[in-house]
Amino acid sequence: MEIDDLKTIFADAWFIRAFEDCVAALSDAGKIPGLVHLSHGSEVADVMLRRHLQPAIDKITGSHRSHSLALIGNIDPIALAAEVMGLSGGTGNGLGGTQHIVSKDTLFLSSNGIVGAQVPIALGAALSARRLENSGIAVAVFGEGASNQGGVFESFNMATALHLPILFLMQNNQMAQSTHVKDVAVVNLTARARSFGMVAEQVDGADIVSLENTFERLIQYIRETSSPVFVEVSVPRLGGHYHGDQSCDGQSKVDPLVNLQKLLQAQDMHDEEIQTIIDDAKARAKNAVDEAQKQRDQSGESLKRYINDHPQLMGNL
Amino acid sequence: MPIMTISEALRSTLIQLMQNDDHITLLGEDLSMGVFGVTSGLDREFGNDRVINTPISETAFVGMGIGAAMTGLKPIIEVMFCDFMGVCFDQILNQAAKTHFLSGGNIDIPLVIRTTMGAGDGSGAMHSQSLHGLLMQIPGLIIACPATPADASGLLKTAAQSNTPVIFMEHKGLYAMTGEVDLEIPPIPFGKGRVVKEGADVTIVAVSKMNHVSLEAAQVLASDGISVEIIDPRTISPLDTRIIADSIRKTGRLIVVDEGAAIAGFADHVISNVVENSFDVLRNAPRKIAPPHTPIPYGRSAEAVWLPNTNIIVDAVRDLMRSDNE
Ligand SMILES: Cc1ncc(C[n+]2csc(CCOP(=O)(O)OP(=O)(O)O)c2C)c(N)n1
Repeated sequence: MEIDDLKTIFADAWFIRAFEDCVAALSDAGKIPGLVHLSHGSEVADVMLRRHLQPAIDKITGSHRSHSLALIGNIDPIALAAEVMGLSGGTGNGLGGTQHIVSKDTLFLSSNGIVGAQVPIALGAALSARRLENSGIAVAVFGEGASNQGGVFESFNMATALHLPILFLMQNNQMAQSTHVKDVAVVNLTARARSFGMVAEQVDGADIVSLENTFERLIQYIRETSSPVFVEVSVPRLGGHYHGDQSCDGQSKVDPLVNLQKLLQAQDMHDEEIQTIIDDAKARAKNAVDEAQKQRDQSGESLKRYINDHPQLMGNL
Repeated sequence: MPIMTISEALRSTLIQLMQNDDHITLLGEDLSMGVFGVTSGLDREFGNDRVINTPISETAFVGMGIGAAMTGLKPIIEVMFCDFMGVCFDQILNQAAKTHFLSGGNIDIPLVIRTTMGAGDGSGAMHSQSLHGLLMQIPGLIIACPATPADASGLLKTAAQSNTPVIFMEHKGLYAMTGEVDLEIPPIPFGKGRVVKEGADVTIVAVSKMNHVSLEAAQVLASDGISVEIIDPRTISPLDTRIIADSIRKTGRLIVVDEGAAIAGFADHVISNVVENSFDVLRNAPRKIAPPHTPIPYGRSAEAVWLPNTNIIVDAVRDLMRSDNE
C-alpha cells in the first residue's frame, strides 16, 4: 500500500465515523424514530473490505448494525440518512428504517432486524452470482453473537456443500448486547467455522496490513474457486449496544481510527494534513445529513402509495 | 385435452416454465427423488445447477431462495410439508414477506414456496397440517390453494411470474386427483375465484380438498331439493370477496368449510368479511365447519372424527335451511 492508499482509507473511514456522529446527534435531537446501532469501531475494517469488492457483481448483507456497510456498499449517504430518519428520499421511502436498508443494484443489498437472518440471504446472492457466471461473490457480515444462530450454522454447511462463492465475515466485538462471547461459546469461533470444511482465518481489525493481505488473498480465492471462506475480524465496540445505551463491557479499547492516524504520522504525514482530511470528512458527512434533513416525513404517503399500488398484497380483493 | 393428475399437471407446468425461463431454479430437499413425484428426475433434465438438492436446512435454503430472488434468479422452493415451516419461520415471516415492502417496493422478490398441506393419510400431527390461514395473516404473502389439476397448473404459472412471494399449497390428498389440463391456457390471475357449482339456496366457500368434500355434500343435498352453490376462491390471499358477496346476495346463506384453524383462520376471515359487507342480505348466521382446535390425531378413527366430512356438511346445510331469521 502506498501513502495515498492510506490517506484514502483514513478519509473514507473518517467519513463513516463522522456520518454516524451526525446520526447520533440526530437521535439525541429526537429526529430518529427508533434506536440506532452505530458501527463505531468497524469502519477501518469495513473500508479495507471494500477495497477488494466489485460493486457491479458483489453483494453484501448486514445486520442491525449496518450503516457503515451501507456506506462502503455504495448506498447514497443522503438516502441512507433519510431512511434512518424515516423521510422520503430514503432507500425505502421511510418504510424500512435503520435496521432495514434494502437496495437494488448496489453492492450493499440489505440489512436486518433479525440477528443472523442476513446470512442465509447472502447464500442466495452467492447462488445468483454462480448461476449468472459473473465471478461475483456474496459477503455476509454478522456479529459473534449471531454466529450462535442455527441458520448461520446451516449456512456454513450449505455453502460448503453447494460450493458457493461467499465470504462469511464475522465481526467479533466480544459483546452481543450485554452478553460476552466467553459466556455463550466455549470454543474458538474461527476453529468452529473451519470445522464445516472451509478456510477460516482470524484478523485484527485495527491492523490494516493484515486486513489488506487477508481480504486480498481470500476474496481472490473465493472468486477463483467458488468456495466459501470464513473470516473473523476483531473490532472494538466503541459505544453501547445502541446509541444512548450506557452499558459497556468495561474493557479499555483501541480505536482503529486512532491507530491508523498514528500510522500516518509515522509515515511523516503532517498533523495539519491529517486534520484537513478529518475536517473534510466531517464536512462531507454533515452536508449529506443536512441534505437529508431537507426531506419531509412523507412515509405516510409512501405507505398509502404502497397500499394503492399493490392491491394483490392487501388480503382482500 | 390431456387428462392429468395434479402431480403430473404441476410437473408438466414446472417443465414448461423452466424451459421458457432459465432463471427459474428449484431448491429443496430430495427434489431429484421427488417425494410426491412433482420434481422427480427434473435434475437430470435441467442439471443440478437448476434443480438443487439441499441439505435438510430449511432456514438456509428458504433464505437462500430469498437472496437469490433479490439478485436475479426466480427460485421455486419446496418445503416438503407446511408443518416444517416452523423451523424456518423467520425467513418466511420476516424476510420473504417483508423485504419488498421495506424497500419501498423497489426490490422484487420473485419467489415461490411450494409446500404440502392436508390430513387424512395417517401422517400424524407434524405432517398433516393446513397452515394456509396462519400464513394468510402475514402481510406480503400471496397464498394459493389449488383444488384441481387445471387450477394447479394455471396458478403455478401466475406464481412463477409474481414479483412478490407466493406460498403455493398442494394438498397431499389431491395429488392423484385427475382432470383436464390445457397447458396452453393462460395463467389464472390471483384473487379470482371460481363458481364450481351454481346453486340458489346456500353458498359454500371452500378451498383445496374441502372443496371436493363440499361438492360431494352438495350432490347428496340435491336429492333433498336443496341447491348449493360452491365457490372456490383458489387464492385465499388475495381473496376474491366479490365472487363470495355475489353468491351470498343470491343465496343469503353461507357455510365455510375448511381444514385449517377453527380459530381466527381462513373460515373466520371469510365469515367476518361477509358479515361486514353483506349483513343486510344474510338470512341467518353464517356457519363454519372446521376441525376441532386440537393437533391432528393419528389413529384412523380419530383422524376421521377430526376432519370435516360430507355428513357434517350435509347436516349443517339442512339445519341452516330450517333456521332462517324472521
Ligand atoms: C433473533 C434475534 N434475537 C435477538 C435480537 C435482539 N438483539 C439485537 S442485536 C443483539 C446482539 C447481537 O450481537 P452481535 O451479533 O454480536 O452483533 P453486534 O450487536 O455486536 O454488532 C440482540 C440480542 C434480535 N434482533 N434478533
